Amino acid sequence: MTAEGGVQYSKIAEIKGPLVIVDDVENAAFDELVEVETKDGERRLGKVLEVGNGKAIVQVFEGTTGLSIAATNAKFVGKVMEMPVSREVLGRVFDGLGRPKDGLPDPIADKFIDINGEPMNPEQREYPKDFIQTGVSVIDGMITLVRGQKLPIFSGSGMSHNLLAAQIARQASVIGTQDDFAVVFAAIGVQYSEAEYFRRSLEESGALKRSVLFLNTADDPAIERIITPRVALTVAEYLAFELGMHVLVILTDMTNYAEALREISAAREEVPGRKGYPGYLYTDLSTIYERAGKLNGKKGSVTQVPILSMPSDDITHPIPDLTGYITEGQIVLGRDLFRQGVYPPVNILMSLSRLMKDGIGEGSTRADHGEISNQVYDAYSRAQEVRALAGIVGKAGLTEIDLKYMDVGDVFENEFLSQATDENRTIEETLGILWKIVSKLPKNEITKIKDKYVEQYYKEE
Amino acid sequence: MANSALETTISKILEQTEKSVISNVESALNESLKTLDDSVPKLEQEYDKILADGKKEADKIEKQIMGSADIEARNKQLMALEDAVDKVFSKALDQIANADRSGDYSNLIKTMIEEATQILGTSEISVSTNAKDKDVVQSTLSQFSGAELSSDTIDCLGGVVVKSKDGAMTFDNTIDARIERLKPLIRKEIASKFGVGE
Repeated sequence: MTAEGGVQYSKIAEIKGPLVIVDDVENAAFDELVEVETKDGERRLGKVLEVGNGKAIVQVFEGTTGLSIAATNAKFVGKVMEMPVSREVLGRVFDGLGRPKDGLPDPIADKFIDINGEPMNPEQREYPKDFIQTGVSVIDGMITLVRGQKLPIFSGSGMSHNLLAAQIARQASVIGTQDDFAVVFAAIGVQYSEAEYFRRSLEESGALKRSVLFLNTADDPAIERIITPRVALTVAEYLAFELGMHVLVILTDMTNYAEALREISAAREEVPGRKGYPGYLYTDLSTIYERAGKLNGKKGSVTQVPILSMPSDDITHPIPDLTGYITEGQIVLGRDLFRQGVYPPVNILMSLSRLMKDGIGEGSTRADHGEISNQVYDAYSRAQEVRALAGIVGKAGLTEIDLKYMDVGDVFENEFLSQATDENRTIEETLGILWKIVSKLPKNEITKIKDKYVEQYYKEE
Repeated sequence: MANSALETTISKILEQTEKSVISNVESALNESLKTLDDSVPKLEQEYDKILADGKKEADKIEKQIMGSADIEARNKQLMALEDAVDKVFSKALDQIANADRSGDYSNLIKTMIEEATQILGTSEISVSTNAKDKDVVQSTLSQFSGAELSSDTIDCLGGVVVKSKDGAMTFDNTIDARIERLKPLIRKEIASKFGVGE
C-alpha cells in the first residue's frame, strides 16, 4: 500500500474493456482502491490489478463506458477497498459494491474491513458438526447442511434455484441453541425482478431484520460482480467472528461471477484456460469458498450456500467442476424433476453433503436420522432402476416387490421432495415422511436400519 | 283353520324379518361404532395437525408483524440519527468556513503544502486555493522554491490543491477533501455522542 494516498493522475494511456491503464504512476499498490473521475465529475470505483514500469492497470468496477483518455483522472486512494461494518448492517439492502440501496444513510461503522478478508488459519479451524435446519425436507433429511460448511447448489438455466435460495434464506435456523442467526444474501447478476423477489420475500416474512442483502442486478456493470461476494463475505465474517452469530451466506449466481472474471481476463489478454475462463479460476473461486467455517475459540460460524447455474446443465463445465473440488458436497437440481413440476427439483442421487454424518444423529437431530436417510436413498435408487425396467417390459412384467419400489419412488417425489415454497418443515416432520416412505416396503427389505428403530417408527401400510 | 295357518306363517315371517332387521341394525351399529372407534385416533391426529398448522401459521404471522415493525422502527431511528449528524456536520463546516485566518492558520497551510509536495514527489508545483486564503497561501509559498500560485481560485472551505507543473499529478489537500476522507470516522464519533455504536 502507498504510504500516502490521494494522488490524482491524469495521464491515461489506454482504456481497454473494463480496464484503465494509467501512466507515470509512482507508489501505487496491488489491490489499491482507485477513484476514476469522468469528465462530467462522475466518480467510479476501481482497483489496481497490476503495477510496474510506471504504469498501473486499474479495473473499473462500474465499467468504462463514457470514459475518454483525455478527460479522465484516476485518484489512488491509498487503501484497499473496505466495507464499513457494524450490527446496524442487519436488515439493510446494499448494492453490489456495498453501498446502501434502501434509501437509508450509510450504516454507522464499527469497523472498516478489507473486503479481501484474512485467510483463516487452517490450524485454527474447527470441524463443522452442528445442524442447520433449512425447513426444506430434502436438504434437512438427506443432504444436511452443517454450520461452517460450504455446500453449493448446482442448478440450470431457468430452474427454481432462486425460489429455493429465498426459501432457505427465510426459513433457515439453528436449533437447540439461543445463539443469534443471520443470513447474508448476495445476488450476483440477477434479473431486477429476481432481486425484487428476494427483497420482498425477506421483508414480508419478517426475516429481513436478521438478514443483509447485496443486490447486483443484471443491468449493473459486470465487473461489479467481482466485488459482490467479497463484500458479502466480509460482513458475514464480521457478524460471525466479531459478534458471535451463526451466519448463512447465500451467493447466487456464481456463474455470473465467473463470467465477470473471464471478461477481465480477456481484457488483460491472459492465456485462456478451459472455455475461455482464466487458468486461475480455481484459485480465485477458492478465495471465496474458503471464507466459510468455524474458528477455535470463536462462537460464530460462516456457512456458505453458493448457487451456480450450469451452462447447458453440464456438470463437467469448469465452474461446477472446480467448485466441486473446493466445496464439501453439492446439491444438484434435476431438469427432469423440474419438468415434472416437482419443487424443489433436487436430484438426490447426484447430491451429497460430505459433512452430513457429523451434523446428524443423537443430540443433533435424531438417532435414526442417518440410517433412515441411507435406507430411503437406497430405495429411491432402486425405484429409478425399476422405473427404467418398467419402461422396457411394462408394469405387468414387474414383480410385486418391484411395484412397491415404484410406489416408494412416487411417494418420495410427491410427498417428501415436493414442498410448497412457504412450507417450513421441522426435522421431526421430515423424518416422519422418510419413515412413511420406508413403511411402504416390507420389513425384510429394510436392511440399513437397526431393528430398535424399525420397531419404534415403522408403520406397515 | 286355513286362516290360522296363514296367520302363523305371517307371524313367523314377521318374526324372522324382525330378527333379521334387528340383527342387521345391530351389526350396522357395531360396525359404525367400530368405524367410529377406529377413526378417533385418526381424528385426533388430524386435530393435532390442524392445531400444529394453526400454531405454525400464527408464529409465521407474528414473525412477519414483529419483523416489519422492528425494521420500520429501526429505519426511523436511522433517519433521525442521520438528520442529527447532518446538523452537527453543517454547523461544524460553518464554523470552519468562518474561522479566523490569522495566527496558526498559515502554519496549517504550510503543513498542507509540505504534505502535498512530499506525496507528489516534486517541488515544481502549482498551488490553487480559494479567494479567502489566497493571501495566506501567497505568503507561505515564498518558503517553497519552484512553487507558484495558480491564478484560478477554487471553491472550497480552505486549504490547497497542489498540482505538479506538468499537470500529470494532483493532490487535493483542501479542508473539504480531508473532511471527506475522514467523514465515516467523524460520523461515527458524532453518532457515539448520541449513544449509537458505542
